[in-house]
Amino acid sequence: MLKLEDYKVVFATLGLVGILLFASPTLGLVLRLPGGEKFSELWVLGPGHMAEDYPFNVGADVNYLVYVGVGNHMGCSAYYVVYVKFRNQTESLPNATAGTPSPLPPLFEFCVFVEDGKSWEAPLRFSFSNVSFSENRSFVESLMMNGVTFNVDKSASWDVENNGYYYQLFIELWIYNVEPAAFEFHNRFVGLWLNMTGV
Amino acid sequence: MKGLCGRFVKAPLLFLLVFMVFSLSLTRLPFYVSANDEASLAIGEADNALRRAFEAVLEAERAGANVSDLIVKLDEAGGLLAEAENAYRIGNFSEAVSRAEGCSVLANGVVGEALSLQNMALADAQTAFWQNLTFSCFGGAAVLVVLFLVWGWFKRVDVERMLKMKPEVASDVEA
Repeated sequence: MLKLEDYKVVFATLGLVGILLFASPTLGLVLRLPGGEKFSELWVLGPGHMAEDYPFNVGADVNYLVYVGVGNHMGCSAYYVVYVKFRNQTESLPNATAGTPSPLPPLFEFCVFVEDGKSWEAPLRFSFSNVSFSENRSFVESLMMNGVTFNVDKSASWDVENNGYYYQLFIELWIYNVEPAAFEFHNRFVGLWLNMTGV
Repeated sequence: MKGLCGRFVKAPLLFLLVFMVFSLSLTRLPFYVSANDEASLAIGEADNALRRAFEAVLEAERAGANVSDLIVKLDEAGGLLAEAENAYRIGNFSEAVSRAEGCSVLANGVVGEALSLQNMALADAQTAFWQNLTFSCFGGAAVLVVLFLVWGWFKRVDVERMLKMKPEVASDVEA
């Protein structure tokens, strides 16, 4: 049998729970709970919107298609710039450990705004022109991306180990940071290895 | 004699021709530099306008506004800025200027809309806050009053129950 003092505790607990229940709408407006992990996604998909059939053996005057995508999980809307760069095997990629971008100048860019929890995707059509080969080297003069032709003037030596003239089309993700009011490399990049063939 | 005379005539003509070509190249250079500068300036302005617009939209979002429509407009403006940058890289300055100006117009429009959305969201948030606070205060007070009343009644009933109890005497029987 419970004593009167024990009932007092039960009543006090009920009162506290009731007050908390009624206060919860106001507390929800005032208290800000920490969100989950903040991050962004960057991806490249093949022509069928799948992670397959990526262009690899490429040649002059042939059109290739990939899809570039960005996912935002930063907890608020974000302003991204997606830079498309082109390099040969001797030129440097971004450094993921140091979080620094590639020093190569961007050729093509997308300016993207994505709401939190949403994603963006766009096609990237590209083709090469004025491609030549001589003395174990290949030369690429022009690269067309989404209808804009860029003079790239890149050359690649014959790769004995992998049997090919290798170039890389890679994509860097930059994000606009409001505090310093500047774009920062977001330490996300993806690349496509391309073997330049005579076909 | 005739050849010498011809040479005397040709030399100034050649000089004049070289001078004209040189002058033309000099006059074209400022045009090129000017177009380049104009494009660069227009892109810089568009870039700034887009950053300001994004910051305004972010503020509106933090105030609790639904910014989906504004993000769509920003994305459209961003597309124009990217096209301007891409055109600038290949030396198509006129297109760069035109795209950048389009971007600036869109971005400046977004700033105004974002500000009005932010003000509306802030007013809504304030109203919601006061409504919730009133609900919490009155609800909490009602819970306390009801509990005190119930507690008073419960105590009375318990005391009455105790008074109605008959004392029982028990004796310890030693074995």
